[in-house]
Amino acid sequence: MISTLLLAASTLTVSGAGSLALMPPDITLQGQDATQRLILIQRTPQRGSEADLTREATFSSSSPGVARVGAQGVVRASGDGEARITARLPDGRSASVRVRVRSAGQPPPRDFRNQVRSVMTKSGCNSGPCHGAGAGQNFFKLSLRGYSPEEDFRALTREGGGRRISRQEPSRSLILLKPTLAVSHGGGKLLETDSLDYRIVADWIAGGAKGPAPDDPKIERLEIHPSQATLRPGVRHRLVVRAFFSDGRSEDVTRWGKYTSSDASVARVGEDGMAETAGHGEATLSVWYLDRIAAARISVPFPGELPAEVFRNADRHNFIDDLVLEKLQQMRIPPSDLCTDSEFLRRASLDAAGILPTGVEAKRFVADPDPGKRSRLVDALLERSEFADLWAYKWSDLLLVSSSKLTPAATRTFHGWIRQAVAENKPWDRLVEEIITASGSNLANGPANYYLLHDEPTALAENMTLTFMGISINCARCHNHPLDKWTQDDYYHLSSFFSRVGRKNDLGYGFADNPNSLKETTIFTASRGEVIHPRLGRPLPPRPLESAESIHDRPGRDRRLPLAQWLTSGENRYFVRAVVNRVWHHFMGRGLVHPADDMRETNVASNPRLLEALARELVRSEFDLKSLIRSIMNSATYQRSSRLQGNSHDRKYHSHYLVRRLPAEVLLDVVSQVLGVPESFAGYPEGVRALQLPDSRVNSYALTLFGRPAREINSYSERVRSSTVPQVLHLLNGDLLSAKLRSPEGKLQRMLDEGLTDREMVRRIFWSSLSRPPSPGEEAEILKLFGPDGDSSASREQKRRELLEDFWAGVMMSKEFLFNH
Amino acid sequence: MLRLDGPTSPNLCQTVHRRDFLHAGSLAFLGLTLPGFLELKAAGRTTSDKDVNCILLFLEGGAPQMDTWDPKPDAPAEIRGPYKPIPTNVSGIRITELFPRMARHADKFALIRSCYHTNPAHPQAKTWMQTGRPPLPGIQYPHPGCVVDNLKGARGDLPAHVLLPYRLDKGQGPGFLGKTHEPFVIDSDPSDPSFRVRDLRPPDYVSAVRARRRISFRRLIDRSFLDFEENCAESRLLDANFSQAYRIVSSREARQSFDLTGEPDRLRQSYGMNRFGQGCLLARRLVERGVRFVTVNMFDDLAGSWDIHGQSPFTSLSALDTLGPMFDHAFSSLLEDLRQRGLLEQTLVVAMGEFGRSPKINPAGGRDHWPACGTLILAGGGVAGGQVIGSSDRTASEPRDRPVEPLEILASLYHALGISLHTELDGPGNRPVPVVEIGVEPIRELFGAA
Repeated sequence: MISTLLLAASTLTVSGAGSLALMPPDITLQGQDATQRLILIQRTPQRGSEADLTREATFSSSSPGVARVGAQGVVRASGDGEARITARLPDGRSASVRVRVRSAGQPPPRDFRNQVRSVMTKSGCNSGPCHGAGAGQNFFKLSLRGYSPEEDFRALTREGGGRRISRQEPSRSLILLKPTLAVSHGGGKLLETDSLDYRIVADWIAGGAKGPAPDDPKIERLEIHPSQATLRPGVRHRLVVRAFFSDGRSEDVTRWGKYTSSDASVARVGEDGMAETAGHGEATLSVWYLDRIAAARISVPFPGELPAEVFRNADRHNFIDDLVLEKLQQMRIPPSDLCTDSEFLRRASLDAAGILPTGVEAKRFVADPDPGKRSRLVDALLERSEFADLWAYKWSDLLLVSSSKLTPAATRTFHGWIRQAVAENKPWDRLVEEIITASGSNLANGPANYYLLHDEPTALAENMTLTFMGISINCARCHNHPLDKWTQDDYYHLSSFFSRVGRKNDLGYGFADNPNSLKETTIFTASRGEVIHPRLGRPLPPRPLESAESIHDRPGRDRRLPLAQWLTSGENRYFVRAVVNRVWHHFMGRGLVHPADDMRETNVASNPRLLEALARELVRSEFDLKSLIRSIMNSATYQRSSRLQGNSHDRKYHSHYLVRRLPAEVLLDVVSQVLGVPESFAGYPEGVRALQLPDSRVNSYALTLFGRPAREINSYSERVRSSTVPQVLHLLNGDLLSAKLRSPEGKLQRMLDEGLTDREMVRRIFWSSLSRPPSPGEEAEILKLFGPDGDSSASREQKRRELLEDFWAGVMMSKEFLFNH
Repeated sequence: MLRLDGPTSPNLCQTVHRRDFLHAGSLAFLGLTLPGFLELKAAGRTTSDKDVNCILLFLEGGAPQMDTWDPKPDAPAEIRGPYKPIPTNVSGIRITELFPRMARHADKFALIRSCYHTNPAHPQAKTWMQTGRPPLPGIQYPHPGCVVDNLKGARGDLPAHVLLPYRLDKGQGPGFLGKTHEPFVIDSDPSDPSFRVRDLRPPDYVSAVRARRRISFRRLIDRSFLDFEENCAESRLLDANFSQAYRIVSSREARQSFDLTGEPDRLRQSYGMNRFGQGCLLARRLVERGVRFVTVNMFDDLAGSWDIHGQSPFTSLSALDTLGPMFDHAFSSLLEDLRQRGLLEQTLVVAMGEFGRSPKINPAGGRDHWPACGTLILAGGGVAGGQVIGSSDRTASEPRDRPVEPLEILASLYHALGISLHTELDGPGNRPVPVVEIGVEPIRELFGAA
């Protein structure tokens, strides 16, 4: 057993100069019985830990009078001083770590805020389904995951007839009797009487059951070891978690951490912090302890070594490709070759502008011998009016522009402002700043409508962080965020920035029913107004997230000005990364952070260095989104074929272009474009394309069916990109294709009028729909089905027309047409 | 490697669907040379000779156990509620007066009065009850209808799993099985007088021959797409949907299955002329014609559902005056109808919601979420009726004996459908995932074992 594990470890060292390390480093044990679990790992600087060798090691202490160490690698304080703990492997290699012991004679701290709360949280007492529920459980309510120690202390000592805590006889306290099932407990057995957790609570009660005090030590930092690991599937690796407190003490809190895995198919993690890899890929293992979070990144590269030439010889156009190839090499995924010119033309036109090239444009592009034609095409696409249409639509999705809360006139005003901003390539920071600081009439100043779509200060804080930073703070409205680091105080500090937004002639809900309403609302800066923190019962001063300093009001200054300054600063990494990730997601079919609107710290990017590089680039270009788009579209990564070349297992690291169904609006627009019959939308002039609609509520069965977002919630999941049987039925039996093919105004009629031969027809239909000619094989098979030319009888004409309609319908129902590839 | 629908013959041409293009005139050869889902589906696998179907009635919102099928007449007024118990045709089994018709069929159904889990939130509870597991990171478990689709495939031209009328946000997807196993959602209201599944027929000017020709051309074009992302779920899903859609539109029987006008008015009325009643009738019609699994959602959102919190916008306890009879008619008619047609033994009927409701009536005159105890109903498909399994305590707050977890319900469902509990599904990263975790047993009493 041991020898096979060692063998495995030594094979892993081949890929890097691995060294042994005993973790965590620099240990200080404070107080009687203080312990620290150690792990012996094999690691390299690039790959992090490659194996957990703790179970193979023999541990020894240089001075057992200071610190003793058990066979499992748990160090225990025995006397003040310094000791060295060494772990030795059977092959003679070893690593050691210094341990300092202080105040070994003092009893360990047993305060409510830190120790008792940790035990209650780990045991699940204050979890959502139990006493942490909004209404508590069985008349006993605790704050969710203990965010409010004061309230919890009150619930334990003042409520429940005083039976929850018995200072005279700690073991008769209900909080010990219930979870040990000495009396019946709906939550089952959660504590053993001989456990450390039991002792902590019992000691605390015996010590007088003191409540949380203002001068209790506060947690400052949480550390997880190893923070990075590169492992094989099916191995175990222990995680060790250490907390640092404001009184300078550090503590091994591994046993009280709450662990989660971002992807259980790659790695799982048990309640005790033992991780186990399952499949290939990457996962983030997060630990939560006393409102702090730390994360470990686990990589499990795919099997099979690949020659270095595969990556050395791969196409590279810019910095994006260097970083993508580096990651692919690390995960052992080969990249696909570049796509063909006609594929690129089609892909780029659809992605950048939501259009298809005409047949003539496609032929010209393919025939063009200029080696720089792809980047010339990118430049040209970025200047097209359809580019502005598509991106105005996209940002309108993001900003939830819709007539469900705005009048139609206001909807048009907001959309018009966004489109203008895109057309002039307004820097993203300025665009957002103008929204956040918007004032004036909602019919004259588009972004003022942001303050009608979201009216409460708290709703504004929630929407702003989600929209522009990709983080969700809404849980913190009622309690500290259970999955992230945001506290309820953070939430109300941030909401205070919006507490002085005034609305004159506010229409409220329901007015949108009258499409002709010309009512106007004015947004202005009010001189007073506060948001009350519900638990503290008083307002908190405006303060940005992750900041220690509140911002002081200055006479006459809108609170939103310093807010916008903080939000849109290049220093605000959430702000920069959120928009970079959204743009990347648009072109690459998957965000570097996935889902693309979940930028919380524990949701680690598939390629963190690339995300950082793109973010730096955006800041350097002063938030020029076109420049970012140009970098992406010109990269070899974007231009890789969607044909699989030994990389079918990858959907995450961009070894190939990910095929995807055209979005609803693009699909409808290109069907109309190719068949030459515009779609008509009630209330809009003939010829308006779906991507030009300012409002998501324009009635259209096809748009709804193919997944147009309602713009009600700010989430990528609102847009449906998958296909459904009703969609297919609509393509087959609905009027989407059939009516346009049949129309006397349509492209087919015009081609018939030109008197084209069958062969010319087939080629024309291929070029205009698929941006490529038919292969000789395809052409021959199709023509054989068409039968001989020449018969011009009326019934033959009708039959030929039907045949062409059916052929074209078949083309447009093909995956090659319905997917961007 | 790619697995489309399980281990099938690599030579797809041997399994051409009977309705393929052999008879489509000059286009015949296209169908012969092109692989497709049609063929794969036709070769669908089954795991057992037992061919039991399932109709799952999902009572969104969570029905109050003590006001429905677990009355507590001896509890204090604020717990027992306003509805009195009535006897049924099985001595010793009582339900509340809201269900007089059900009371005449107690010999046909079994009640489980001790189902529990620990999540009081709708989304998580819906996931837990329907997939047998609480929501977990990185792995999404499938709805049992999607598992049936995966393991047994379609029988005839109709989809294996139809969900109606609209889909719930949680617990009703294929999860890790992939989108090729999505339910067929009819997305229209069967109680609407003009109800028809949209786009089920082509426009008049497109004849059946032409519709087939369009499909053939599509397949010809798509041959060139084979190199692109063969593994891409979206692309496989589109193919699966095309073959499914084609089977539906090309089969008269399939089209007629969705046509409720073929049912006598009296029967329609006995089910109740509302969405749930007509949905149950449609479910029977579909099962009769070959659909293996029908999920009927009594509601598609919480408004007006069993979620009777009392305060606005929720309804209060008195909403049961309407919901009770609605369920009573639909469920009783479904049992009678299935039995008269000799389908009850081959059709398992399950009625459940996401949780029970709080024993104590709250100050607003409603009851809140209560996952610790709930009642569910099973009938048909080999289930021994006329029995109550498990019981709750005096206040219906928690199971008193025979506590039952959601996964045991799922295990019983698979057992009734003839799916071995050792069956492994293709999980994330090609990991085998058992349909239920090892050691979880079906509830034997349901099937007549003491």
